Amino acid sequence: MSNSRPTTNIFAAQPIQRVSQMPVAEGKSVQQTVELLTRKLEVLGAEKQGTFCVDCETYHTAASTLGSQGQTGKLMYVMHNSEYPLSCFALFENGPCLIADTNFDVLMVKLKGFFQSAKASKIETRGTRYQYCDFLVKVGTVTMGPSARGISVEVEYGPCVVASDCWSLLLEFLQSFLGSHTPGAPAVFGNRHDTVYGPADTMVQYMELFNKIRKQQQVPVAGIR
Amino acid sequence: MADPLSVGVNLEAFSQAISAIQALRSSVSRVFDCLKDGMRNKETLEGREKAFIAHFQDNLHSVNRDLNELERLSNLVGKPSENHPLHNSGLLSLDPVQDKTPLYSQLLQAYKWSNKLQYHAGLASGLLNQQSLKRSANQMGVSAKRRPKAQPTTLVLPPQYVDDVISRIDRMFPEMSIQLSRPNGTSAMLLVTLGKVLKVIVVMRSLFIDRTIVKGYNENVYTEDGKLDIWSKSNYQVFQKVTDHATTALLHYQLPQMPDVVVRSFMTWLRSYMKLFQAPCQRCGRFLQDGLPPTWRDFRTLEAFHDTCRQ
Repeated sequence: MSNSRPTTNIFAAQPIQRVSQMPVAEGKSVQQTVELLTRKLEVLGAEKQGTFCVDCETYHTAASTLGSQGQTGKLMYVMHNSEYPLSCFALFENGPCLIADTNFDVLMVKLKGFFQSAKASKIETRGTRYQYCDFLVKVGTVTMGPSARGISVEVEYGPCVVASDCWSLLLEFLQSFLGSHTPGAPAVFGNRHDTVYGPADTMVQYMELFNKIRKQQQVPVAGIR
Repeated sequence: MADPLSVGVNLEAFSQAISAIQALRSSVSRVFDCLKDGMRNKETLEGREKAFIAHFQDNLHSVNRDLNELERLSNLVGKPSENHPLHNSGLLSLDPVQDKTPLYSQLLQAYKWSNKLQYHAGLASGLLNQQSLKRSANQMGVSAKRRPKAQPTTLVLPPQYVDDVISRIDRMFPEMSIQLSRPNGTSAMLLVTLGKVLKVIVVMRSLFIDRTIVKGYNENVYTEDGKLDIWSKSNYQVFQKVTDHATTALLHYQLPQMPDVVVRSFMTWLRSYMKLFQAPCQRCGRFLQDGLPPTWRDFRTLEAFHDTCRQ
């Protein structure tokens, strides 16, 4: 449930969100595939409800802080989500996720000695939001710099707060408009049954998606998507 | 118009106090008349002054006497009873415009009518149960003897009894927790939390269920002042649908003589919503229909169906 609704949550129970990447169709550009998806959604009966944006910056631990023990530098990702405009998320790959307020960005500037921003690492996805019954679908174009790299699709089911409960429901909905490109259950759903889903889980899914897209680019033109 | 004053008021002392007020008023006006008239015509100045002062003192004494009398009587009168029989709605009786908005009298009539209706329905069901249509009529006879005869009029049950029934039902189901509160008078309001799926607010009238509202687990059920919010609907369509079904259920489960059985059946039915998002529809086998999961639960078998799939 977005924070734009009048009732505010007192505890961090959040609706279930599934983020996946939609492969670009053969012979079509990213733009055209996005339009195809949005048209399918509109045929289904969804209504447009504004736009969204999720972005991610990478930092790695500065060489000076790595002691003589030979630790490898860890990558830290600082992300923002327009659904939570007053928050900033900082996470390590397999580690904890910190939810802070937007002043965290300023703090990162001060921590220049410990964390250095990786060059040209900013990746973001932007697009429109669609509402269908209790589902919120966000279709966005993933861009790194000036070039479009892929498509991200996020589906949020408002009423449910426990991840393992409604996966089959979400899957059925995804199949209705993604067709054969439906993804499998994400890792965050698997490990915890009966725990309440939180926005941190969504950001972890986005981080994995962005990493996957970044790796795709590093492979020279393979032609398979 | 019903008289909210009860035996706390001594009407005899009340009328005496009113006449004491009148006596006090007349003695006070006599004092001022005496001052206004001034001194009477007498031979000497001293005589005039003495007469005036004596007259003035007499009048003041009578004022004092009347005031003491009034105070004594006002202590005897007593306070009117604070208990309105209909609590806050009794304040409607203070509306002076009776002919344009006869709300209070209509409210009382509706209340008396519904009480009578409930009483008659109880009597009728008792009589009809004796002429049972089922062949196994012996069952009803045996259980009627075993059931405690001292069941009072089911509409005016002591709150302790209601509390007991609710806490017994609370203990019956481990995944369902029921919180009872009485923020508005004697009718109980239950907040039922079913696992991590949904929350239900049930408004009761003694042991009968009046209204239900179903909301999501993450939705706010309290108003800004911290009281239970019994009016606002859920933000999600699926829970609005479940609220409609719950209202149908409380109309379906009816048994005037045994309201605790009714509450238990309703809670059992509600408990079947534990798997709201996990159970597919028994008829079409799918999870979603128009974006909604199977929200209907059959009243006898508790199977899940889509609203459009139910037989």
